[in-house]
Amino acid sequence: MPAGPGTVAGGAGAMVLGTLLVAGAFVYDMGAIKVSVQGKNPGGENIHLIVPAAAVPLALPFVPDKHLQEAAKEVRPWLPAIEAAAEELARCPDSPLVQVTSRHEKVSIVKRGGALLIDVDDTNETVHVSVPLKLVGVVAGQIARVPPPKGGRAAEPPPSEVSTL
Amino acid sequence: MKRFLLVATMFFLTETYALAADRWFHVKVEEAGADGETVRINMPLSLAEKVLPVIHTHNLHEGKVKIGKGDVHDVDLRAIMDALRTTPDNEFITIEGKHENIRVAKAGGNLLIKVRDSKAKAETKATAEAKAKAAAKTAAETVDVTVPFPVVEALLSAGEGELDVLAAVRALAAVGDTVLVAVDDGHDKVRIWVDSQNTME
Repeated sequence: MPAGPGTVAGGAGAMVLGTLLVAGAFVYDMGAIKVSVQGKNPGGENIHLIVPAAAVPLALPFVPDKHLQEAAKEVRPWLPAIEAAAEELARCPDSPLVQVTSRHEKVSIVKRGGALLIDVDDTNETVHVSVPLKLVGVVAGQIARVPPPKGGRAAEPPPSEVSTL
Repeated sequence: MKRFLLVATMFFLTETYALAADRWFHVKVEEAGADGETVRINMPLSLAEKVLPVIHTHNLHEGKVKIGKGDVHDVDLRAIMDALRTTPDNEFITIEGKHENIRVAKAGGNLLIKVRDSKAKAETKATAEAKAKAAAKTAAETVDVTVPFPVVEALLSAGEGELDVLAAVRALAAVGDTVLVAVDDGHDKVRIWVDSQNTME
């Protein structure tokens, strides 16, 4: 028996719904990047930004090649380390990682719920940044696949951190 | 039997991984004074284990640092470590100077270095206030370093002219809770230790 128009529409609807559900689950799973800057001085800037982390890997291919290749050249040698660190941190229990406290400034980096939270509180402003660790790995992987510019040189090895003992 | 070996291997691998995952490396630096900063770093040793092998810099490759002969002044570190390892617990060096006491000893599988600087005491003069200040300063000027032998052995386990930092990190994950470095110069305090707490204190 041939399928009627209602059956086809129903099938298409189910496919759209399924796609939306998968996309929604992906967006939910990736989390969101949150940036909040609150100025403390009169007339200081207040910025609040929430971007679905899933949008970043999707937007990356639209970044002009020149800029992406430039960025890739700088960070490429460190990408495996960044990927490994993000992966391992995601696996570790929630915990404070870095804390700097002085009379004028407080800085903290905390791993909480699959995200890296960076807080800076100084005399001028309060900054809060939250980056999902999954995103770090995904973006690092994407940048690693950016081809070097034509005729360009391969990335220099990173500067020596440990020179002598 | 095969099944038992498989289970045992799985258990061993899981335990080894969990061991590293549960160990934390801590650094705390406290500067005295009104503008002094306090810095605390908390790092899971498993993070270092994962990251070190993939870092490739001029001197660091796959967790091993290349050192030139000049850096160790032709001293055979392995021979020294072998000699120290086979020696029973003992005090190797004791220097009691007018201003400084230094003690290097082996105890409980660790190399211990203790420095007590009494310079302030020698400089003490006249007033009770100065004496009190100097006494406080004297009490604070201390350096304690504990180096677990397995860590040093792991560090020296690489080929000639190399230090195996990755192996040292793995060895560090296996030692118990240890304060590796404690420095208090009367102004600043530095403490580096390893334990299984993922908190800052």
